[in-house]
Amino acid sequence: MTESLIAIYDALPYILKGSAVTVGLVGGAMLLGLILGIFLAVGQVYGSDRIRPVIGLYIWFFRGVPLLVLLFLFYFGLFPLLNINLSAFTVAVMVLGLISAAYQSQILRGAILSLPVGQLKAARAIGMSDRRSIMHIILPQALRLSIPGWSNEYSIVLKDSAVAYALGVMEIMARAHFVASRTYEHLPLYFTAGIIFLTLTYAGTKGLRILEEKVRIPGYSTR
Amino acid sequence: MGRKLLWGAVLCIAAACLVLGPASSFAEEKVYINGIDANFPPFAYVDKNGNPDGFDVKSVDWIAKEMGFKVKHQPMDWAGIIPSLKAKKIDLIASGMSINDERKKQVNFSIPYWTIAQVLVVPEGSSLTIDELLSNGNKVGVQRGTTEAKWIEENLIQKEGRDFSLVHYDSAPLAVMDVVNGRIVAAAMDDAPAKDAMRKEPVKIAGTFGMEEEEFGYAIRKEDVELLNMINEGLKKLMASPYWEELKEQYKP
Repeated sequence: MTESLIAIYDALPYILKGSAVTVGLVGGAMLLGLILGIFLAVGQVYGSDRIRPVIGLYIWFFRGVPLLVLLFLFYFGLFPLLNINLSAFTVAVMVLGLISAAYQSQILRGAILSLPVGQLKAARAIGMSDRRSIMHIILPQALRLSIPGWSNEYSIVLKDSAVAYALGVMEIMARAHFVASRTYEHLPLYFTAGIIFLTLTYAGTKGLRILEEKVRIPGYSTR
Repeated sequence: MGRKLLWGAVLCIAAACLVLGPASSFAEEKVYINGIDANFPPFAYVDKNGNPDGFDVKSVDWIAKEMGFKVKHQPMDWAGIIPSLKAKKIDLIASGMSINDERKKQVNFSIPYWTIAQVLVVPEGSSLTIDELLSNGNKVGVQRGTTEAKWIEENLIQKEGRDFSLVHYDSAPLAVMDVVNGRIVAAAMDDAPAKDAMRKEPVKIAGTFGMEEEEFGYAIRKEDVELLNMINEGLKKLMASPYWEELKEQYKP
């Protein structure tokens, strides 16, 4: 037992540094997923007949292929072929973000469709263009309604980010594994990694809860 | 409000990317990056403070100092380490890499600096012979992407048709753990990490399994002839210096 505690104590600063990398992975991926997800969702709801199948194809692909396959496909396959030299961290953010975009677009699409159709009609009636109506009337409401769904998505992306260790990204899991290889204290080290992930999940979902309360529209409560 | 929040988030993430992203090189002189498998004690691992350490790491540090260049050690996944070298993500692999013909087609190797035997690691109490281990439908562990994995697959399983199966692991220590846990009867690996495991876990070396001894060398891109010459010269100097004996004493490979 003491040996285990010593192993954790020794390794903690090193593994905690990995949580900065994990937070970077998740933050980057969530942001990329959000920006792309907004375009995908708006395109799916309001897009032309030509754009909708393309978006459908994108979502079908990124929701259907396992993360590990996509990571290897991009990092060892696609980018070397195109002669693009990106770091493992960057590729991991991109892949996690592209996948997250597919999921976030569906969260957002549900939120957009849940708004009364009169909202858009009213915006058009006071002379707003389609684009302005979506930007200023639809999205501000839909994004607020998406927060509970995001908090789900955040915890999924956070847990998925551990797979980036397979590319050699120095996140929490990779570091725990390296220390375990030297010390053979596998149980305490993976346990520590698990606790750090739990803490990050809790902090993130809690933060999103607070945000949800802050930006709540009266009469649009989700609870 | 919403806009401010979004910009705040954008700025935060941009800052995070700057800090964590690929290290921008403000330095004028070239820093060579040595890719290591940090799950390979005693040749390469991370020490208590999280710094790369090991027989190979310290060797390269000495050579760099002697030959007047800068080096940084980058832990990465072993299975993808040669593709990473070829994609110029790293400049050198000094991490217990066996020299063989197949790898020679892809990279250049330095002069050999270490001879290694492949052994089977078994639980301390095991009394099975090598032949018994490699039969009866037993499971034998091996690290993915290693020369021994390939050799066992080709020679013992395909050619000789022995009745056992291979289980692939991410690293030698994980294979050792499964020997201890009793999920596999033995793990095949280089003798140096096997000795390292013996010092830390209730395992022993059962013996060799017919694979020829191999030599370790540093891998360098084919086109980097100058670096190869510099490394070779440094390596010769190192092996002739008293520090070489100190390294052997300290890391007991």
